[in-house]
Amino acid sequence: MKLSGSHTMAVPQDRAYALLKNPEVLARAMPGCESLVLVGEGEYAMKMKMVLASMSGLFDGRVRIADSNPPSSFRLIVEGKGKIGFMRGEGLLTLTPANGQPAPSAAAPAVPDDPPSTAPAGPPPSPPTVSGCLVQYDGEVQVGGTIAAVGQRLLDTTSRLLIRRFFEKLNSEAAAMSHFAA
Amino acid sequence: MIPQNFDYSAPQSLQEALSLVASGERKILAGGMSLIPMMKLRLAAPAEVVDLGRIPGLNAIAENGGFVEIGAMATHNTVETSPVLRASCPLLPEAAGHIGDAQVRNMGTLGGSIAHADPAADYPAALVALEAQIRLVSVHSDRTVEASEFFLDAFTTALEPGEIVVGVRVPVEGADEGYSYQKVAHPASGFAVVGVAVRLKRGAGRITMARIGVTGMSSHAFRDRAAEKLLEDGTPLERAAAIVGDGQEANSDLYASADYRRHLAKIHARRALAAALSRAS
Repeated sequence: MKLSGSHTMAVPQDRAYALLKNPEVLARAMPGCESLVLVGEGEYAMKMKMVLASMSGLFDGRVRIADSNPPSSFRLIVEGKGKIGFMRGEGLLTLTPANGQPAPSAAAPAVPDDPPSTAPAGPPPSPPTVSGCLVQYDGEVQVGGTIAAVGQRLLDTTSRLLIRRFFEKLNSEAAAMSHFAA
Repeated sequence: MIPQNFDYSAPQSLQEALSLVASGERKILAGGMSLIPMMKLRLAAPAEVVDLGRIPGLNAIAENGGFVEIGAMATHNTVETSPVLRASCPLLPEAAGHIGDAQVRNMGTLGGSIAHADPAADYPAALVALEAQIRLVSVHSDRTVEASEFFLDAFTTALEPGEIVVGVRVPVEGADEGYSYQKVAHPASGFAVVGVAVRLKRGAGRITMARIGVTGMSSHAFRDRAAEKLLEDGTPLERAAAIVGDGQEANSDLYASADYRRHLAKIHARRALAAALSRAS
């Protein structure tokens, strides 16, 4: 299954990039993540408890970050396995400066203590007004086991639901940090 | 398969049920048409289940001051065949008749279906088109949420832990009103690939009120207010139907791509509007 989409964050690109690669922030933002432990260069072991509708399941997994190209892109590779199924996904995350306000929960002012650096290969930059960042993801996910056999019709919807929740939480984490910095 | 062991309680009153679920940790069982299969597959393994099936009166259907009140434990079959609903709010029985198969309709309940909030369930389309009021009760609260504010995302509703859906209130169909629910059913599951519910009112040769609810296309049922407005402004039905679903993210699976679902939403909106209009005269 192919997955792609984009979300807006209320922080400048370099800060968004740092947030997306900060394991403590990721652990708080990923739905159901119970622990995320560094096990090697850019590689983490993850325990997740997925709760959705009446379904719940424990997953053991690995998260790997590759092809880092700060502050504009990196590749995320996720693998997870549990009693109810397994998943393997890989995606490229691309960050570009953008305007626009995301979810109201993240309405706190983004505090650019240094001016946002513009992406080398991004769209035409407009530095004075750029306060946010657009995160685009493009990848492919395979899901197998019981969960895929009975839930095929819902995989796409629920994957996007989880990604949406991740970015909502990430945005509120970003807002909380901006408050702190202010 | 056989579910994991779980504790079971069957309270005899709503009060007892509310105190059992107050902590938000026990799982509520209504008709069991989604929960039990998940438990048998061990996709769900709740430690404790509270069955609402023994609470007297929770499945009553009665007309009261311009509205019909339906108890949450009314089965789909009860809704489909209720003389009160058929006479006063026929859109809901029409949608109920499209759910699953006869066995599911005999067991599954209105409250269970909406609390579960499957993105492809039939009721939500009809309920958002009816602007239904959903009553949620907990030990220390009693509130009503409008259907379009109840369905928030896939399997996500405005229900808080400890709350139980106790009933739904829908308006009595007025004079010159017509309705229709048009659905493409998935051949295996019976779930809506796309389902469109329409309610409209005709007056002086034009549409004076239109409500369009769409299920199955997106992560949750939604009302297409832009298309409703076009109809109320006198735009021809075909042109209004052609924008239904625009701006919404669409689901895709092996059976139906996102683009196909978008297309189905428009086609079935047109059919539902035409059928509702002919019934309104």
